[in-house]
Amino acid sequence: MAATEEPPGGEPQRSAALGALTQAALALPILLASAKAGAAHVGEIGLAVLGYRERGLIKVTEPVLWGKLQLDDVWEFEASGALDMVSGASPELLTNLSGKPVQSVTGASVNDRRTTTGLRAKRRFGDFSLSVSRTVSNEHDYHSHAYSVQGELDLDQRLTTIALGVGRSDDRVGSSIDPALDEPRDTREYLAGVTQVLSPVSVVESTITLSRGQGYYNDPYKSTLTFYPDLVLPLFVTDTRPDHRNELAWLTRYRRRFPERNGTLQVDYRYFRDDWGIRAHTLELAWQQDFGERWSVRPALRYYMQAAADFYSPVVPRPQPAVLSSDQRLAAFGGLSPSLRVILRLEDGFTFEGSAGYVHDAASLRLGGGGSEAFSTLRAVYGIVSISRPF
Amino acid sequence: MRRVAAALATAVVACACSPVAPYQRGYLARPDMAMEPVDAGTAKALERTYSAKEAARGGASIGGGGCGCN
Repeated sequence: MAATEEPPGGEPQRSAALGALTQAALALPILLASAKAGAAHVGEIGLAVLGYRERGLIKVTEPVLWGKLQLDDVWEFEASGALDMVSGASPELLTNLSGKPVQSVTGASVNDRRTTTGLRAKRRFGDFSLSVSRTVSNEHDYHSHAYSVQGELDLDQRLTTIALGVGRSDDRVGSSIDPALDEPRDTREYLAGVTQVLSPVSVVESTITLSRGQGYYNDPYKSTLTFYPDLVLPLFVTDTRPDHRNELAWLTRYRRRFPERNGTLQVDYRYFRDDWGIRAHTLELAWQQDFGERWSVRPALRYYMQAAADFYSPVVPRPQPAVLSSDQRLAAFGGLSPSLRVILRLEDGFTFEGSAGYVHDAASLRLGGGGSEAFSTLRAVYGIVSISRPF
Repeated sequence: MRRVAAALATAVVACACSPVAPYQRGYLARPDMAMEPVDAGTAKALERTYSAKEAARGGASIGGGGCGCN
């Protein structure tokens, strides 16, 4: 969660954040050393760095370090660590002071760091495999501890794979402007999916995840200020949301290789809905074109659209409702995001990837209209460079 | 949505009757045929970037933990 100022004791927290990332990094050489013990052991280690910049607002730099190891086709281990460094200005207030509701950026600047470490172990028992994972994420005002257990069953000579999983996340929400805030948010998750080989050149996967959350969902940094001509004082409301959120996400991904064209079509579609009234569709189309064994280029286009939450409003209505948020992430809008990725594979096993993308979210980009007028158009660019090496 | 689910289930069941021999699976093993066709670091970074700006999230996995991203 973004902070509006550096928290008291920022240096110790920064040290703790770097310590967590270092801890994740230290696990990776262990994986690497284990891999060299036997020829049947294979793995990969890599580093990616994301740079993200919103016009006039947030800048994010995020290094991600990860490693994978497979032992004798029985055990698989994954470890990752990421450090988000966020700086810039964050919109906090939505007010109609100028005549119509617009976002207002306060003078305070965001200066936040987030560390995430994840571990996953998977054991195969013939056609069945069982995996467990643990993820810990820490910001000075948000802490998350998540777990999951997932089973996968291969059928029909591994042409079909069924996956079932359960997970939970125990979170604590705080605030740098309200040190007394320390509220829980607990989430249970369920997953069911099927992967099906369709032909020697095509495969499809469809997964449904259900999420049932309970706890504190308010954004302590967001508020709404509305002036009415017949009122002496404006109405001021802090962000207030329901104390629960039940979500459904249905993701279907299709891959098809075209050998004669040296290319692969990648199609992802996700349908999302929750009991806040949000309905969202995400479609991504990508084509990876290979130029020999070393170079690949992958242009992609992602389209996203969502309906507004039932309690979203850019102004404080009269009478004042029990729940209200003017957070524009809960508004109705659409977004287009083209991107281009270049992949270079060297003979010694190193793989370099570079991605550049543009994000454009606007009320007018919502198909069928109905975008929220108060939505402030977002334009952002990002770039990701990564290096990985199998061993 | 129910119609789409039924069509998808039917397609999966029908396709399961068309075996693909192990020696025919070379293309299926390519990295670009994986459901997550980018490296793990890039995938995680992209996921967080979009989920910080949109109300929708998830679908591919569970156990990733929450985020107070603003």
